[in-house]
Amino acid sequence: MSNIDAGNQVSEHDLSLIEEEERAEKRRRWLLLLLLLLLALLACVLLLFIRYLRQPEPLPEMIPLPVDVNYPPHYLFSIYGVDKPVGVAYSLRNDRIYVAETGGKRLVKIFDRDGNPLGSFAPPRTMPGERSPVYLAVDGAGRVFVTDRLQHAIFVYDENGTFLDTILGPDLTLSEYVLKHVNNLRPDATFAYNQFEHVVYYKSPGEPERTLPTPEPAMWAPLGIRFDRTGRLLFTDVRQERNAVYLISADAFSPSSWRNFDPPVISFGSTGQGDGQFLFPNSAVADSQGRIYVTDGNNGRISVWDEKGQFLFHFGGGSGEGALSLPRGAAIDERDRLYVVDAVGQNVKVYDVSGPEPDFLFAFGDWGMGDGQFNYPNDIALDRYGRLYIADRENNRIQVWSY
Amino acid sequence: MRKLILATVVVLALALTMVGLASANGGPHGGYTATTDACAGCHRAHTAIGPRLLVRSSTYDLCISCHGSAGAGANTNVEDGYYLSSRDDPPGGADGNVGAANTPDNAPLLGGGFQYYQGITVTSSHDPTGTVLAAWGNAVDRGTTADLSEGLSCASCHDPHGSPNYRIIKATVNGVAVSVDQVDEGAAKDYDTEQWGAGMSNICAACHVAYHETGADVGHDTTNQAYGGGFTHRVDMPWNGDALTDPLIGMGTNNPETVGFGGYTLPLAESGTADRVVCMTCHLPHGTSAQMTGFADPAFDPSGPQGPIPAGDSSLLRLDNRGVCEVCHQK
Ligand code: HEC
Ligand code: HEC
Ligand code: HEC
Ligand code: HEC
Ligand code: HEC
Ligand code: HEC
Repeated sequence: MSNIDAGNQVSEHDLSLIEEEERAEKRRRWLLLLLLLLLALLACVLLLFIRYLRQPEPLPEMIPLPVDVNYPPHYLFSIYGVDKPVGVAYSLRNDRIYVAETGGKRLVKIFDRDGNPLGSFAPPRTMPGERSPVYLAVDGAGRVFVTDRLQHAIFVYDENGTFLDTILGPDLTLSEYVLKHVNNLRPDATFAYNQFEHVVYYKSPGEPERTLPTPEPAMWAPLGIRFDRTGRLLFTDVRQERNAVYLISADAFSPSSWRNFDPPVISFGSTGQGDGQFLFPNSAVADSQGRIYVTDGNNGRISVWDEKGQFLFHFGGGSGEGALSLPRGAAIDERDRLYVVDAVGQNVKVYDVSGPEPDFLFAFGDWGMGDGQFNYPNDIALDRYGRLYIADRENNRIQVWSY
Repeated sequence: MRKLILATVVVLALALTMVGLASANGGPHGGYTATTDACAGCHRAHTAIGPRLLVRSSTYDLCISCHGSAGAGANTNVEDGYYLSSRDDPPGGADGNVGAANTPDNAPLLGGGFQYYQGITVTSSHDPTGTVLAAWGNAVDRGTTADLSEGLSCASCHDPHGSPNYRIIKATVNGVAVSVDQVDEGAAKDYDTEQWGAGMSNICAACHVAYHETGADVGHDTTNQAYGGGFTHRVDMPWNGDALTDPLIGMGTNNPETVGFGGYTLPLAESGTADRVVCMTCHLPHGTSAQMTGFADPAFDPSGPQGPIPAGDSSLLRLDNRGVCEVCHQK
């Protein structure tokens, strides 16, 4: 009895030994597997690192752009250090991001596409309470065009923010005005005009600063501004008497034409709520067929025009799918997807406009203060890598999203 | 489901109250009809639940989306206190647009500014960002406990849905019924001439109760002291007093609104033959950049009856120092 018992005990003991060994073996195998996995991972990381070293670009770009799947982009990161940003633009020339602030000192701030600050600028001789940069556009040469609601003008800077000129009206630049009044103005002369000072300043190197009377005020109030693919400038005008969109041909912006600025202009629209009318149009963008989409802010819709300025139709009003509350900045991508920032809707709505009728695809973002949430967003810019930059006004940041 | 029902009820209730509200204010405020989609500009259009969701964040952020310095949805830029418009409107505003008739570009707004006024950083303003604060004269001293149940916001004074009052001032402010006439100067609205009539003091007095002293000689009467132990200036009387019994006050025949003093004028509430002095004769409702120095600077006597007032604070006054007094009394 006891033997048997003892034998039983032994065999049980053996069994548990074997079990333990098996378990240890298993553990070893798992560890080996884990080690292999870790090694594989390390190899991957090393490979990526080598690739990164050879072509130093942030990693998300290595995911190929989706070609025909329509899914929303995802949140990447935010650029902080901006005060109530309302406008954002991207420069194809140097991959920079330009941001217009309505808070703080009301500067235009420059960032690289990873959010590192590169500088800031503002119209010469203005105080924060006298300027109000709103929307921006960058041309092929990297020059930055900024609309200013308090100055009633479009300021033009080089890529680093050095002031170049001011467009004072659809057919007048500041340099042209100064040149008209001053004979033999040296090409390196500087000039400035602050609408609140009621005087134009100019200065040739080595000479004292002089002043001129102010130009006749132009009848305009430029707000939204964009260049289309062909280099034409599209801007919206929100003056009371006539809300309209203006189209200026590309050759108007060659350096020689600045001092004789009288480009052919197409303009369309009027103030109101009917077809072909606007209430505070905030941006105008063109698709690959040349059709123009205008975010008709206070009318809560997008109105569509052909390249000659003939009204076609509007969409996005009402309360159905893809309906807009307060559309503001807009952008269009290579595939003719139209991105519209809805300030009160607290998101970005995306429509496929490649066909004859616009199709609502999806919206992204929601109200809030967390990552990927918006608090009165106002503008959007796209870069060539599939990133989206959204001015998130009340959260004091630029959100960067990506496909 | 509960949300859906709530939203429906809310919209129904509003649709009913909307009926009969005055509308001629040009913006998205009021004048709604069954077919316009005017709610969406301020309330979220949502596809999934219910017809409309209310915005959840602060009222100030909403209003500033249009009335801010970007001027992206309105011409009245209350951040900087400027009217942003075109310059080519035909006299009389043939286009029928609000404010277009007479108000020139960059005319300073009548309400002042919340951040800047006339290009200068404000030295005092009502804080409309929803912070719960104490309204002096409402049974509290300044800087003490908050007394208004809700923080001050744009919607404390204005009704974004429209109201029969001048500048859509709320029909009920802080629980007190307020009626402010719009005095029309021509059919068109004008954002650079006061068009308010009688009742203008009532809006301020709805919160600053103790300042509303209307009897003659209140400045002498120690029973009529506002909180903080100071005397208050009489309001709601004709600009030249009731036939000016006291020569010491030096009013003469200078109507502060038309004659003024030293190039400055002060607005009066239009009322029959004798226009009246109201709170807004001396104060701006939004904010001011008036500069306070010397005796007028609260820092001069920090232990004074005003309580803890920051140095340089201008108490929403229209003119530098005590310029407002000079315009009438010309001592
Ligand atoms: C100009 C912006 C604006 C417009 C347009 C607007 N609302 Fe409002 N609404 C607001 C604000 C701001 C509040 C919060 C008011 C407060 O804080 O007292 C509000 C509150 C409400 C409330 C809650 C009850 C109340 O009055 O506080 C309802 C219901 C409502 N709105 C319905 C509507 C409907 C229906 C429409 C369209 C007919 C509409 N609103 C148009 C801004 C607006
Ligand atoms: C303390 C009450 C009060 C508060 C708070 C207030 N307002 Fe006003 N607002 C007024 C009064 C009173 C007027 C009329 C000024 C006049 O005509 O003299 C006015 C005028 C206006 C006008 C017409 C333009 C002008 O300045 O005359 C606008 C637009 C306006 N307010 C918007 C706002 C917005 C937006 C906010 C919040 C940021 C706000 N108000 C907060 C009392 C107030
Ligand atoms: C969608 C844009 C928009 C929003 C949001 C908005 N407003 Fe307005 N508001 C306007 C426009 C446009 C006018 C017409 C005058 C002008 O161009 O500034 C106006 C006019 C006014 C006036 C002057 C009314 C009169 O009788 O002359 C007041 C006061 C006012 N708004 C207050 C507010 C307040 C308070 C809020 C926030 C609750 C608000 N607004 C939100 C666009 C807006
Ligand atoms: C809805 C309530 C409310 C109304 C209406 C109101 N106030 Fe005030 N007022 C306040 C509160 C709260 C404060 C203190 C907090 C702040 O500075 O915003 C204040 C502060 C002030 C101050 C001191 C500001 C400073 O910083 O020195 C003055 C002056 C003033 N109000 C005048 C007025 C006048 C004039 C009116 C009428 C146009 C008015 N108030 C209408 C609530 C109100
Ligand atoms: C809009 C014109 C006007 C302005 C501005 C004005 N006052 Fe007066 N003031 C009057 C009138 C009218 C009376 C007579 C009041 C009465 O009938 O009791 C008066 C009376 C007085 C009195 C005599 C008080 C009394 O009860 O007998 C004093 C002191 C006074 N004001 C001081 C000031 C001061 C200080 C200021 C600047 C803060 C000022 N006033 C601004 C019109 C004005
Ligand atoms: C005759 C000009 C004048 C009138 C009218 C006037 N105030 Fe004042 N108010 C002032 C001055 C000046 C100050 C600066 C502080 C001081 O010296 O008492 C002031 C300050 C204030 C303050 C800040 C706290 C304080 O007492 O310093 C409040 C609140 C205020 N006034 C509310 C009102 C209200 C509400 C009315 C209308 C019932 C009104 N005021 C009418 C001139 C005026």
